[in-house]
Amino acid sequence: MNPKSFIFAAIAALAAVPAMAVDIDAGRQLTYTCTGCHGVTGYKNAYPNYKVPLVAGQNKEYLVIALNAYKNGLRKHPTMRAQGEGLTDSEIEQIATYLADLRTQEAQ
Amino acid sequence: MKHLMLALLLPAALFSAAPVDAGNAERGREKSAICQACHGVDGNGIGMDMYPILAGQFPDYLAHAMRAYKTGEREDVVMRGFAAPLSEQDIKDLAAWYGSQKGPLADLSHFK
Repeated sequence: MNPKSFIFAAIAALAAVPAMAVDIDAGRQLTYTCTGCHGVTGYKNAYPNYKVPLVAGQNKEYLVIALNAYKNGLRKHPTMRAQGEGLTDSEIEQIATYLADLRTQEAQ
Repeated sequence: MKHLMLALLLPAALFSAAPVDAGNAERGREKSAICQACHGVDGNGIGMDMYPILAGQFPDYLAHAMRAYKTGEREDVVMRGFAAPLSEQDIKDLAAWYGSQKGPLADLSHFK
């Protein structure tokens, strides 16, 4: 690696770290709304009656797919459709990244 | 004779009144062979991030999801195919199996 490309790689590596941190923080702020249901232990959906799913620690790509399915109407749950429709692709990415990351925190 | 008739008819009556009993985790494990290809034996997956972790998820939610795939309320080509042949008993058994396994899932109450 020549000095020039080394410097470039070093800058790129440094730049990548804060970007990741911002992502997680943005995700945390975006999930504030989610806690209204997914943050109440044992909270139940009505008609049909079932406990709202545990989402902390879930796989990131699955969460992206699920949120997009609500957004695009492939999943019909009215409340989740309304949430999904209000989210941009990058917000969905941030939420999924944050939720998946909670697994690591729990394990530590 | 009367008692014999009763003994024969009572179980039949019970079964027809309640064709589906509560989910049985052991039966669910036996029925989960196909699911394991993507969700893993215990629902913790196979290292593929696109598939959900099922281990420790609420059984009633898992059952709801399977029914939704089966009816098409959730549109998913792959899961619809797998859920279509499942009976209500199969759904409850599978939900009991995966829901009873240990996994990393949690609600958000600790993370507000």
